[in-house]
Amino acid sequence: MLQILLDILRGLWETSGLCGLAEDPMKLVMILVSFVLMYLAIVKEFEPLLLLPISFGMFLSNLPAVLTEDAIFHAEYWNQPQSVDWFWQVIHDGGLLDKLYLGVKLQIYPCLIFLGIGTMTDFGPLIANPKSFLLGAAAQGGIFFTFLAAALMGMSAAECGSIAIIGGADGPTSIYVSSKLLDGAESNLNTGTIALAAYTYMALVPVIQPPIMRALTTKQERAIKMPQLRTPSKTEKIIFPVVVTLVVALLVPSAASLVGMLMFGNILKESGVCSRLVDTAQNALMNIVTIFLGVSVGATCTASNVANWDFLKVLILGIVAFSLGTACGLLLAKLMNWLSGGKVNPLIGSAGVSAVPMAARISQKEGAKVDPTNFLLMHAMGPNVAGVIGSAVAAGVLLSVIAY
Amino acid sequence: MNLILTAHNWIMLAGGSIDGNKKPLDSSEYLGVTFAGIGIVLLALALLVVIIMLFGKIFDGINKNQQTKAKVAAAAKAPKASPAPAKKPEPAKAVQPPVPAPVVNAVDDDEVIAVISAVVAMMSEQDGTTYQVKSVKQKPTQGGFSGRSAWAMDGRRNNISPF
Repeated sequence: MLQILLDILRGLWETSGLCGLAEDPMKLVMILVSFVLMYLAIVKEFEPLLLLPISFGMFLSNLPAVLTEDAIFHAEYWNQPQSVDWFWQVIHDGGLLDKLYLGVKLQIYPCLIFLGIGTMTDFGPLIANPKSFLLGAAAQGGIFFTFLAAALMGMSAAECGSIAIIGGADGPTSIYVSSKLLDGAESNLNTGTIALAAYTYMALVPVIQPPIMRALTTKQERAIKMPQLRTPSKTEKIIFPVVVTLVVALLVPSAASLVGMLMFGNILKESGVCSRLVDTAQNALMNIVTIFLGVSVGATCTASNVANWDFLKVLILGIVAFSLGTACGLLLAKLMNWLSGGKVNPLIGSAGVSAVPMAARISQKEGAKVDPTNFLLMHAMGPNVAGVIGSAVAAGVLLSVIAY
Repeated sequence: MNLILTAHNWIMLAGGSIDGNKKPLDSSEYLGVTFAGIGIVLLALALLVVIIMLFGKIFDGINKNQQTKAKVAAAAKAPKASPAPAKKPEPAKAVQPPVPAPVVNAVDDDEVIAVISAVVAMMSEQDGTTYQVKSVKQKPTQGGFSGRSAWAMDGRRNNISPF
């Protein structure tokens, strides 16, 4: 009788999550990390719209499930090359988050997010001052110099490209590139850790950028006032997305998905005849995709993926990429200021790292610190939205040169 | 010599010639990706600069033409209209209180009209000229607060909130 009771209790223990935690204490550590991230999202409001879904996804995927079929997410599915069998395994045996993660793996969510961003973006400042494109291009230097740094650290081409793209300060692009490059690659890195690093640094833009901006510019340069921009006509705004898509798709076809969806969203907005579609893309669609993306990317942050030296390398190289991108943008803006005879405030160069509109706000704030009557925001928005296009082009270049 | 080698690699790289799993990369490979990457991004965006500038110039030209035509048309119509003799602005010795709104398409909010009138009165005091508020019209909006674009809204918020 007692033996039967003990067997039942042992059976209950062995199938319980507590036993799973006892067998793999790192899961508990990851759950605690997810709590810290939830705290940062809710109390400190660090990118809460993304960080909260990511942290909760992390929490869910680290909950122990003794039986494989009970698991809400299977990290082991995502470290193998895609095939028809693999696909059916995910559909048939996968948990809820596995199925949602298919949107990441198949590069659907990043493109849909770009569609939503397109409907929310006003390219007016960029059309009014097209030279801003150059600042958006220069800031992508962070991506390629980080590629160099990662290669010097002995990483594989796929890893170098996936880490370097963090320098674009563009979450969807980072996910897009890393999910393609790391698919089936022999690597400890995965899309989830890349996305986590990218969004973490995007939330830290107000902390990372200002010291670099102050170090690379003089007080006189920061005080430069820029003239009012012209207002582009509606026709220009409608032609712009078509021209950009055409040029980018012809030069870098791998970037066509991202840039195409961005510009599709923008032409919906600028046409003024698709208000219902714009409303859906801006709100409902964007929110749904953000939830699915956040929670499924967070789910990939399992102990085996995060608690290793490679993730530490991602974090280090990620901040290097961000800082280099900021510096490259600033330095080109300084050059443009010198060439134009003091008409360009170099602070707008740092906005070339896409992070819209945070990076532009930082330029505004730093300028206003020196002269409160200096309004740089509109001028910084040009490089800022150019950075979105630039990072998508840079992503296309990486996908073109690295076989995946 | 190195430069030539790198240039050669740039061309080779365009076909996705680096195996994603290759580790470590050759110096020519990572230098090629770095400089070719920056070069291609700069080239693509520089091309866009040229095209968008060209479009800007074309549209500026079209707008100027339209404005000139509109001016000519207005000038042609002007003699037909009954011209009211323009009042010479009299320099006010004492500032008269501005008259709030015999309003067309009026903004119904009295507080808004009062604020506008107060600002006008303040300007009158400063430059010694008398102004009258003849109408207060609400600017047509295209959705969103006061028809401002998202960036303009953000700029406004930045400017009016403490730093």
